[in-house]
Amino acid sequence: MSGSGQPRTPLPRATTRLNAPRLALVETNVGGEPRLVDRELVVAVREEWRVVDRWWTDEPVDRRYFEVVLESGRNVCVYRDGERRCWFTQRA
Amino acid sequence: MIACLLIPGFELRAALRSRPRLAVVPAALAPEPGREQLVGPVTAAAEAAGVTAGMRLGEALATCPHLVLVDPDPAGAEREWEGVLRRLEDAGFAVDPVEPGVVVFETRGVERLYGGVEAALTRALVSVGPAWDPRAGAGQRRFVALAAASVARPGQAVIVEGEEEQAFLEPLPLSLLPLDEGRYAELEGLGVRTLGSLAALPGGAVAERLGREGKQAWSLARGGERRRVRGRSPAAELVEALSFPEAVANEITLRRAFGALLDRMLARPERAGRPFRKLALGARLVGGGSWRRTVTLREASGERGRIRAALGPKLAEIPAPVVELRLEAVELAEGTGQQLALVAPEGEEADARLREGLRQVRASAGGGAVGGIVEVAPWSRIPEARALVVPRDV
Repeated sequence: MSGSGQPRTPLPRATTRLNAPRLALVETNVGGEPRLVDRELVVAVREEWRVVDRWWTDEPVDRRYFEVVLESGRNVCVYRDGERRCWFTQRA
Repeated sequence: MIACLLIPGFELRAALRSRPRLAVVPAALAPEPGREQLVGPVTAAAEAAGVTAGMRLGEALATCPHLVLVDPDPAGAEREWEGVLRRLEDAGFAVDPVEPGVVVFETRGVERLYGGVEAALTRALVSVGPAWDPRAGAGQRRFVALAAASVARPGQAVIVEGEEEQAFLEPLPLSLLPLDEGRYAELEGLGVRTLGSLAALPGGAVAERLGREGKQAWSLARGGERRRVRGRSPAAELVEALSFPEAVANEITLRRAFGALLDRMLARPERAGRPFRKLALGARLVGGGSWRRTVTLREASGERGRIRAALGPKLAEIPAPVVELRLEAVELAEGTGQQLALVAPEGEEADARLREGLRQVRASAGGGAVGGIVEVAPWSRIPEARALVVPRDV
């Protein structure tokens, strides 16, 4: 799988991908940075990076990752999928 | 009688099953990576264009520039061949496979069932199916049966009675004998071009000139040994496979995947504790080809460490990145008592306890509750492409 929340090719006998992304509910500010993640306020953005890969294939990857600290103190990694135009959470 | 069923160019036919369009154009089986650059079996159109099996690749392409090279698919050929053998077994023949495309069997047990040798051979040809263009031969000896099948047309059965054997073999070419290319040339240089002319030579002189191989060929030219055919033991049907989301070339990753497959295979209840006699490791390659190696264990074993040591080094021989890795139990030994160790190796107790714990987890939480992590592309920038969780039945 490349850059999606669900596996695109079925794998036999429940073989699954480790650390598969899950859909996340994210609200952003005007700069496109997360303001709320799963209805929890973001208090700090620790790091931000981009992953652009496989642009030569039918399944290109274009992600903008943010490692954020939430109000509860949790450290969460979220990304916006530029291809699918939605947000996911994933341990990077 | 001993019968032989022959499917010429079996590997090519098997590889063309998924691309039947190529069967009518000049095509040849490409040489396996790392092997001598000789083309394998060729299609009729390629033969008409002057290409023959065993020709050097460069020469073949120079002879026929439109020649299509078909990637070998040994795993697919093996699977198809197993299907052919099973169809013959279902028809009542106790088969003894020689190589993919050649199988021998005794007709004695089924002659009364089918109403004679010819009817039995016809039944064998029908059970294989006309798509493979099988041909059959029968005689009192293996080599005679093989020679008879070699001269038969597709779908035809040739029966050679005992007294006709020598007369039948005499005019046949030397190419039926298992000799090196140089030996044929040497014999032709001496004016020996047929089985009859070789058989007419004194055995001692042939052995002196051509060595053991020549003596064996001389013996075959006279019909070969009278040996009974022993049917194979039924093949086991234990297969474990692991598909990778992306092609994997890293040997460490492949070793880990192999370890996971082995654990799953060892836990299969169908095995009923029996040790493995023969195992096959196969891979589907990224370009569409395949790879397969069969290993017969010197001593039948169900020990993880021993099997890993026997099969693990084969992974380094895989010629291209792998899309799917398969482990097959080809033959299981009957359960026998084994000598216990006086002192258990270090760590065995802890290992046994850990396995027992995992077994309990699986019993309470169900199948798939215990998994192992197999790294497939740890260097990937995409986190979910780095590793797989593979269920382990401990």
